[in-house]
Amino acid sequence: MTNQQKITDSPIDFAEQIIEDVKNSKEDGVLKCVQCGMCTSTCPAARHSDYNPREIIERVLDGDISIIEDDNIWNCFYCYTCHSVCPVGNSVCEVNQILKQFAVSNEIGYDKLYEYLGFADSYFTAAIGAIPEIFFTDIDRDVPGWWEFRQHLDEIRSELELDPPLMPPEDVIDEVSTILTITGFKDKIDKIRATQEEEK
Amino acid sequence: MKQVPDKDILLFRSCLVSVEYPGVEASTKYVFDKLGVDYAISEKQTCCTGLGHYSDVFDQVDTSAIGARNFRIAKDIGRPNLVMMCATCYAINKKSVKLLNRKDELREHINQLFDENGLGHLKYEKDDLKPTENIFHVVDILYAKKDEIRKHIKYDLSEYTIATHHGCHYCKVHYEDTIGGVRDPNVMDELIGECGCRTIGWYDHKRATCGTGFRQRYSNPELSFTATADKMNAIADEDVDILVHLCPNCHIQFDRYQHLIGEREGRKFRAIHLNIAQFIALAMGGDLDNVIGAKAHTVPIDSVIKDLKEVKNEG
Repeated sequence: MTNQQKITDSPIDFAEQIIEDVKNSKEDGVLKCVQCGMCTSTCPAARHSDYNPREIIERVLDGDISIIEDDNIWNCFYCYTCHSVCPVGNSVCEVNQILKQFAVSNEIGYDKLYEYLGFADSYFTAAIGAIPEIFFTDIDRDVPGWWEFRQHLDEIRSELELDPPLMPPEDVIDEVSTILTITGFKDKIDKIRATQEEEK
Repeated sequence: MKQVPDKDILLFRSCLVSVEYPGVEASTKYVFDKLGVDYAISEKQTCCTGLGHYSDVFDQVDTSAIGARNFRIAKDIGRPNLVMMCATCYAINKKSVKLLNRKDELREHINQLFDENGLGHLKYEKDDLKPTENIFHVVDILYAKKDEIRKHIKYDLSEYTIATHHGCHYCKVHYEDTIGGVRDPNVMDELIGECGCRTIGWYDHKRATCGTGFRQRYSNPELSFTATADKMNAIADEDVDILVHLCPNCHIQFDRYQHLIGEREGRKFRAIHLNIAQFIALAMGGDLDNVIGAKAHTVPIDSVIKDLKEVKNEG
């Protein structure tokens, strides 16, 4: 592979890029990986799919940037088991999240995010992270009585005397919508949606 | 153990609790009231972004900017102790506080965006909140008050077979702050003990994920439900009546999908699923409709709990 670096090369650009990412809370933990495989041996995705957290770090340390195009990285459960057992204080779970954001920045994985844009929409309309409506048909098929329950949610909430109401006031929704616009989030979401809908 | 407050608390509303298991909120309030915990809910607080964050839609700057706003609201109403009903809200908020304190560039970037867009009142100053001193899960508060639980117990639930499922985002993300163990989590087993019951303790896959995996449940159901089946089978092997949770997302995975996973496994699963606050509220005498919110549950609570027996006075 032409874009590969070796751990003996300097600098280890790819790993350094991960270390510098805002999401990274483990300082240079990725460089401390000794490939012991504790992460893989406790990982639910490794148990049931081709996802391999130990190999992810190996490829990162090899400078193998093609990993951001590897479909397997999307199998992580974000359960943080690897993160909690790593003997050198690395977190494959966090590295995985950073790799996915690298992918998205490179316009990779838009198809993976498309169905989840409902989380963005519900934040702009209600400041709530509601389950995207696109999944309602599946839930209704898989969960007996769920749709009926959701139709009666207001009654159940009122029986429980829950206050304040589910939806925050308009000025609150406006304020958080502004925040998500000025961080560049809205533009990113609009671009993903437009790109995916154009492809369809 | 870390210092845990019982006052100046902002009870942080959770989207999944609000729309899926609202009885978790009512039960938390019921138990907090019994234990004399000083808390309030704010209509200004908004979603932590957790579900969108772990679906990779929200990046860290978006999540931490929303976090900074929620932290400002908590400070402004004199309730700097955020207490979460959802394990993911807990993990997300604790991480944002850590990063905003530790990473000057992130904090300054968000503050500059606020300043330039007429939101200067939301600025977050370094160490406005502390991750260990200000960010908690409901179980932390209950654990710190555990010696007071027993005197409020009305019903005896000790004849049921009880197990616990500790949410990954409580135990494993900020493991340095987790009460009751990470690899062998027991915080809820101890709380249930204070209700006069004994759990089964350790079981196969006790520390494992519920299998939701955020995007996995919807985009990759085969992977998601196979992981859940590992745990559901282990629980059925122990003939568990009540599985107790601390996270609404895990709660959904087990309660809503138990029937489907049973069909996939060719096995009838029968456990009911209660949040720890619901379990304690029930033991304290909370009404099934007006406090526990039984109507929101897919596996009917009365399929296991048919009648409630009052505890015998020891005197």
